Amino acid sequence: MSRPVRLDGLVAGYERDLPIVKGVDFAVAAGEFVGIFGPNGAGKSTLVKAVAGAAATFGGAAFLGDTLLTGLPAHKVLGAGLAFVPQTENIFATLSIAENLQIAAEVLPRAARAARIGAMHAMFPDLARAPHRPAGSLSGGQRQMLAVARALIVSPDAIILDEPSAGLSPRLAHDVFTTLARINAAGTTIILVEQNVRAALAVVSRGIILVDGRVRLDAPAADLAARDDLGALFLGTAAAAA
Amino acid sequence: MNPQVFVDGIVAGSMIGLGAIGLTLVYSILRFPNFAHGELVTAGAYFALSLAALIGAAVGGTAPIGPFSFGWAIVLAALGAMVATAALALALDAVLFQRLRRRGAAVIIIVMASFGASLALRSGIEFVYTASPAYFTRELQIAMRLPGGLRVTPDQLAALALTAVLVVAVHLFVTRTAAGRAMRAVRENPALAALAGIDVDRTIRLVWVLGAALACAAGITAGLLIQIRPTMGFDLLLPLFAAAILGGVGSLPGAVVGGLVVGLGEALTVAFLGAEWRAGAAFMLLVAILVVRPNGLFGRAGG
Repeated sequence: MSRPVRLDGLVAGYERDLPIVKGVDFAVAAGEFVGIFGPNGAGKSTLVKAVAGAAATFGGAAFLGDTLLTGLPAHKVLGAGLAFVPQTENIFATLSIAENLQIAAEVLPRAARAARIGAMHAMFPDLARAPHRPAGSLSGGQRQMLAVARALIVSPDAIILDEPSAGLSPRLAHDVFTTLARINAAGTTIILVEQNVRAALAVVSRGIILVDGRVRLDAPAADLAARDDLGALFLGTAAAAA
Repeated sequence: MNPQVFVDGIVAGSMIGLGAIGLTLVYSILRFPNFAHGELVTAGAYFALSLAALIGAAVGGTAPIGPFSFGWAIVLAALGAMVATAALALALDAVLFQRLRRRGAAVIIIVMASFGASLALRSGIEFVYTASPAYFTRELQIAMRLPGGLRVTPDQLAALALTAVLVVAVHLFVTRTAAGRAMRAVRENPALAALAGIDVDRTIRLVWVLGAALACAAGITAGLLIQIRPTMGFDLLLPLFAAAILGGVGSLPGAVVGGLVVGLGEALTVAFLGAEWRAGAAFMLLVAILVVRPNGLFGRAGG
């Protein structure tokens, strides 16, 4: 099942009088694959952390379908059906690969757990090879796959990923994007935060450009890919209208 | 040298190890050294003392079991005292530490708060029970002779067995169960643990319950083998920290081995240098081992 995600005037950050996300509205339809782009410091990570319950929200609200996510602790946001993969430290390095998957599977009814872990092994065969090794022994690409598998294991209605290609070679980044496209094709709503804009525009259907904590442009991926002033848009020097 | 020193050292060390497990659990998951842990040891002993008196008065069970100095009343009271000590730890967290954590207080503030809690609890216990020592039982124990001229009392053997059973049980719990896995996940990365679906607050409560129950067991053991005093836990604090740090903070087997090293070190110090050097022994051992292995015996770099 897949559900839409909606943000209504979301204000978020780490200190109430110094918000980083300054009122963001957008809607992502069920089954849509949307990219969030923007310069460093635009508030992309803070925005998605706030939706996932990992950063404080000072105003506005985020919804998954009809469920209000704002105010829920992170573990209840996951329980509500929205999974989040942070950019860094997104696996438990001291736990085994199997334990990383088991922890996420705990959210599911007991009878469903083994089948979902099996499904993740089928999707990411590297994770089935040595399940009892510490997850910290995995390579960068394998770690991202484990982090994605950990999020997918609960069959979320929507998944948010914060720069899953960071630190990966172009080939591995391509593999990550291809995997995400496959997951989206299977019906999961995906919101992807990326620095690697050109590569991400090849897989997302729509791009939202965030500058200084506000939505500067929200346009179909094909339109964004056709523009040659993306860099200037990021800096706020180009007109947003296409 | 009298080899009896080793028996005494191992018995004392197992008590220190029990207390150090709780300290190391709380330290590694809540990331602060809890100076009030000693008072959980003391409170555990006094809870058991009061419960044993109540049970003894109500239903009996005060007659010694076999060769031991204690009766069923104390065994039952020990279980009740573990529950009561866990409740005390949860209450302490709810009124003090949780509030500071939510405000994002610096570690030093939380440490000072634990120091204050330690003082307040110790004074409270002394107010209720007075400063004079109390005893679970006044039965005399006949020591059993072991080969090599060693002597050990049945109570000491019971304490060693209890330590071994609790240590193995806690180790299995932490390494084999879902709740233990959640504890290890929260220890490594609390923010990610929440994103992975773990109820971090519930896991923290579980850590307090486990740590307090083990502290209570250490207090009851110390009460049976030595005596019960309002300062018994506070006096144990330096050896507890030494054991936890020696073993490598966060390592449960490390805490037990650290406890045995400190217990033996203290016993040997008393035998060779005199009882007045006992307190210094734990400290010297700590310094000596940290110079060679900065992360402790079982510690991970950066862990």
